[in-house]
Amino acid sequence: MSDTLVIIPAYNEADALPATLASLSVAYPDLDVIVVDDGSADLTSEAARAGGATVITLPYNLGIGGALRTGFLYAVRHGYRRAVQFDGDGQHTASEIAVLLDSLDAGADLAIGSRFTSAGAGYEVSGARSGAMRLLRWLVRLLTGEKFTDTTSGFRGFSRPMLEFFATHYPVEYMESVEALILAHGAGYTVREVPVRMSERGGGMASNRGLRLAYHFCRVLVVMVISKGAIRRPDSSGGSNQ
Amino acid sequence: MSSRAQVLWLVLAFILFIAIGLILRLVRHRNLRSKYGLLWVAVGIALEPLALFPGFVDWAARSVGVLYQPTVIMLAAIGLLLLLAMHYSWELSRLEERSRTLAEEIALLRAEMDVLRDGPPPGPTPPSGANNSDDTQPG
Repeated sequence: MSDTLVIIPAYNEADALPATLASLSVAYPDLDVIVVDDGSADLTSEAARAGGATVITLPYNLGIGGALRTGFLYAVRHGYRRAVQFDGDGQHTASEIAVLLDSLDAGADLAIGSRFTSAGAGYEVSGARSGAMRLLRWLVRLLTGEKFTDTTSGFRGFSRPMLEFFATHYPVEYMESVEALILAHGAGYTVREVPVRMSERGGGMASNRGLRLAYHFCRVLVVMVISKGAIRRPDSSGGSNQ
Repeated sequence: MSSRAQVLWLVLAFILFIAIGLILRLVRHRNLRSKYGLLWVAVGIALEPLALFPGFVDWAARSVGVLYQPTVIMLAAIGLLLLLAMHYSWELSRLEERSRTLAEEIALLRAEMDVLRDGPPPGPTPPSGANNSDDTQPG
């Protein structure tokens, strides 16, 4: 057992998982890997097990936030010192995990792998999506006072205190990563963005239709603003403004 | 008030009475949690005198200066229903959170059970355990 856990939330990823798991075991043969099967209808669990990962099968679809929270809870209960979130569909590059781990070792509680800074150059997103992301970036900057370029990244590292916090407080609704960033920052955790390389494969947000995306976008904007600093990290001094 | 209107009010009062009885029955057989049942019974009991003595509404409306009496009832009803709807949204959020937590716990327990039954997963770390445990998963 290693002290670092790789958490792969997977929903109907049976086709892509074998290659993803193989690339992980080549780059990091020592890391423990769990796949949280988020109520998939295909053979995601079987593919993950065959690939050598520990599998947590959710009884029904909880969405990516719910799957992640389950993974965080697992990491906390099994005593992992840190964890990395990794996509099952192959859009993340296994060797880049080192970048996240370095950032955690340097004191970050939440390390966000960004594809938009220099190292990630070449990754393009299209029209409305890029506009929406720009607005998110701007709002995040307003709320945190720091600049984050890739607020919806699903390639992230978590320190032990961050895992403990997120095991209960991780947002469970769609577009949860931005909410999580604000939540962690507002609670007093150290959030760092690090440049990573990613491949072109789209996933997550791209598959969603305009109206649904627009709804969730507005929801996230409101939630971000009203929940800033709502929850403090447990070990921080200073009164909690619960 | 015409006698036909009076009959109508009496019929309404009677229906209300039956409704209260039904709710009490549901609570009695534990088909309705008492906290909701008693709420509706209270609403029913509050409405009963209005149906039996419709003149009360007229009097109440006049005394607060409302000319068109039904608005008083409407306002009260809408206010009450809005409050109830809010309460249900809150309750629903809490239930959703609880069922989520349960789903997570079940998934984690199942994973632990897999380990207990089949031993730790083969994993990439130790090349020793070569048995892939994906053959016996009856669920």
